[in-house]
Amino acid sequence: MADATNEELIEQWKNQPAPLLPLLHAFHDRDGFLSDDALRAVSDGLKTPLADLYGTVTFYHHFSRTPGGLEAPRVCTGNICCMRGGNEILETLKSQGQAATEMPCSGRCDEPVPVLTGHTTLAGTSADNLKPTPSPLPAPYPGENEECLFSNIRKEGHNTLEGYQANGGFSALTKTLSNATPEDVIETITASKLAGRGGAGFPTGIKWNAVAECDRHPKSIVCNADEGEPGCFKDRTLMDYDPYALIEGMIIAGFATGAPRGFIYLRYEYPETNALLERCLAEALEAGLLGNNIQDSGFTFHLYVRRGAGAYICGEEGSLLNSLEGKHPFPRNKPPFPVTHGFEDKPTAVNNVETLCAVPHIINRGAEWYQSLGLGEHPGTKLISLSGDIKRPGNYEIPIGLPLKTLLYDWAGGPLEGRSVQAVTMAGLSGGFLGHQILDDLTLDDPCIRSHGSFLGAGGIMVFDDTRDMVKAAHDAMAFFAHESCGKCFPCRIGTQRLTERLNSEPNNLSHEAWTEEVNDIGEAMKATSACGLGMAAPNVTESLQKYFPDQVEASTNN
Amino acid sequence: MINDPNSTIAADLSITIDGQSTTFSEGETIYEISKRLQKDIPTLCYDDRLDAFGGCRLCVVEVEGIRNPVASCTTHASDGMVVKTAPPKIEKMRKTLLEMVASENRQVDVDPLRGLASQELSTLVNKYGARSGRFAGAKSGTTNLQDANPFILRDYEQCISCYRCVRVCAEQEGDYAITVANRGFDTQITTEFNNDLRDSDCTFCGQCIQTCPTGALADKKALRSEELPEEIKKTRTVCPYCAVGCSIDLMTKGDKIVGAQPAMEGPANKGALCIKGQFTYDFIQHEDRLKKPLIKQADGSFKEVEWDEALKAAAKGFADARAKYGRHSIYGIASGRAPHEAAYSMQKFIRAGFGTHHIDNCSRA
Repeated sequence: MADATNEELIEQWKNQPAPLLPLLHAFHDRDGFLSDDALRAVSDGLKTPLADLYGTVTFYHHFSRTPGGLEAPRVCTGNICCMRGGNEILETLKSQGQAATEMPCSGRCDEPVPVLTGHTTLAGTSADNLKPTPSPLPAPYPGENEECLFSNIRKEGHNTLEGYQANGGFSALTKTLSNATPEDVIETITASKLAGRGGAGFPTGIKWNAVAECDRHPKSIVCNADEGEPGCFKDRTLMDYDPYALIEGMIIAGFATGAPRGFIYLRYEYPETNALLERCLAEALEAGLLGNNIQDSGFTFHLYVRRGAGAYICGEEGSLLNSLEGKHPFPRNKPPFPVTHGFEDKPTAVNNVETLCAVPHIINRGAEWYQSLGLGEHPGTKLISLSGDIKRPGNYEIPIGLPLKTLLYDWAGGPLEGRSVQAVTMAGLSGGFLGHQILDDLTLDDPCIRSHGSFLGAGGIMVFDDTRDMVKAAHDAMAFFAHESCGKCFPCRIGTQRLTERLNSEPNNLSHEAWTEEVNDIGEAMKATSACGLGMAAPNVTESLQKYFPDQVEASTNN
Repeated sequence: MINDPNSTIAADLSITIDGQSTTFSEGETIYEISKRLQKDIPTLCYDDRLDAFGGCRLCVVEVEGIRNPVASCTTHASDGMVVKTAPPKIEKMRKTLLEMVASENRQVDVDPLRGLASQELSTLVNKYGARSGRFAGAKSGTTNLQDANPFILRDYEQCISCYRCVRVCAEQEGDYAITVANRGFDTQITTEFNNDLRDSDCTFCGQCIQTCPTGALADKKALRSEELPEEIKKTRTVCPYCAVGCSIDLMTKGDKIVGAQPAMEGPANKGALCIKGQFTYDFIQHEDRLKKPLIKQADGSFKEVEWDEALKAAAKGFADARAKYGRHSIYGIASGRAPHEAAYSMQKFIRAGFGTHHIDNCSRA
């Protein structure tokens, strides 16, 4: 089959919603990189200024501007993969003459080290055992309560339409479309106390209600599947093994808010997930579960996958919406919020994968049931991506309020033989570190974690045992934030750079006191004045490093 | 409701800023209201002709009931808001931010010939005592000396990524010639494919130079006179090139015209200029400039004459042409540089003087 011409690609996409990213991907896939000629064609085709387009393309890590770039291996050098030999794999591939480059955490910390080439994820522990590897399934449930999100996920064939339906899938949708009003749905979701599982924790029912009440159309449901937080890989598992739950959740969200369309904004680093979702959407459409007049209810909902191109900031909802609209992915100034001014300035519910996947379960089994899944006062469950120096890394669905120790030792087997836990991160890297000192006290719920100066966020927990250099761990974390800082606001753009420089092992002329003062002044300004969560969260790394590991800081600064 | 125009009743909405109560209209930002109250809130990414961007974060203020400071330039005032524009905690963070910005540049001080706003960074750094040299580290931005255009110096080592240049080019000029490439500390202002400006959509209007708060984009022509010892003097005048009437400040050092800058308060241009008003003044003091009328001689050479003689020769030429070929052989074209009054005089002269309607204006082409 001959490759599509420039004109054919543009014709295929220019009248589709949110066309820029898929059109760029179409050229990237066809040519193996984005040539000047391709950018000129896209600029002409979408009537977007060439300079703007060029700038936007260079923003994304994974759009290659050199021939062969698409296929060139990208090796994960995220925090966990660095501890598992990521850098060594990178160097070996380079020494073999391959045009290998590094990439930030690509969401496979449960089975490192991933290497992305073309649209395939290889994984291995060294350059000679890399092979295509599907993402791991969660281990059998180790807890005593009940799972929600993972209750069906281990069943064979659950990620096919037949399998999903055989396990009761789409019954929530049928129930909703035949028996419920949008108000009923919102009431149930509000009563369940489901809150944003991407990390912000905003009550989902209230968000949906705000969209529903806004009389400006067309509205949109946007699923944030950009899962860019290092050490987070829960959404990948949900989408790989329970994709129809997400689709069903989004259709119900559309019904509840009055949105006739939805987008799944999927991170670039999940190519197999991308292919699976595309297939699922086609099958759901074919089965009359999506599209016009779903199940003869009169409700219409169109759903599209849009693939990102490598930018952590696109997990921030304003950046995500700008990216979806084909604009430069800087965060937006808030207010107004997306619920009134979101995709194309119209009311939009932006929800995380995990949040949306919980919806069909809640509709099926009721708000009270969902609430009761948590411990004590805490409603519901949370997926935790556990990685690092721990015997059984992976995704776990915990009742909110579970003691951290139970998760680490009883569920995940504890640290490796002969070692002890030195620190864990919270919220991937955004919550900074918690030292082993708090292990006995900490329960996995926001009130408790916040009282220790951190937060649960998207639920990524990395474990560092007593052999790890925490200053280096902090450096690698800050280097990630510096790499991903978008460049919009001064405190984050300069601050992440300066903090990274102050954490590296090269000698500098600062006394310990001057170092401390500089690091804390930068951190204070970043936390208070940054334009979005990236810059506000990054100083958690330096703050917690000093709080829990003052000796290591002192040793590294007195050089 | 944001979209209800009837809700814009200024007298109903009030805000307290630094203890002072005032009314405002729906849609006004805290910064705009503060400005009206003569509050001196620092900014680096702000240009009141452009959409507020919220990048430099120097304009953050404290709002009662909101945990973090908010950027006053992007935050709309709401009824009953209580704002403090310069509490010590905010002032300290402003100083920190300025020290951080100063640390990424090669130097803080630049020649004012670089551009109209070029002193903004050094002025704020002085005001906040931010010349501490703290936060030393890598410098951002790569200066492009390869671009051989005669107008715009691209000294990006001085760039602080406020994107005023990119925004003025897009929002004011509609040219979209320059863009933000890469991200974070590697951010770089450039053109498509990193080309020279003359291979881009740049019209060399110089607006990017004049809005740049650090002199990273600079007036190359003006900098030719950097070494002249005299003080810069600015004289407000009107651009002579077309009939729009843009206000400009001609800059002189001694008797020499060294550059032009747009007047922000010019009623016709509000700070805008095109390449002609911005860069084309060399002819004024050029050695080849005609200072007396010349009449072409039979042998093709030119003879310098007085005005009376020149006007007589011109009148005779017109009269001879009309006598020989008739009144419709005369055709008058007004220069696009002429104002209305001059264009009116021209058509009167041709119509009443020669009796023909053969008139035109070069702008029509």
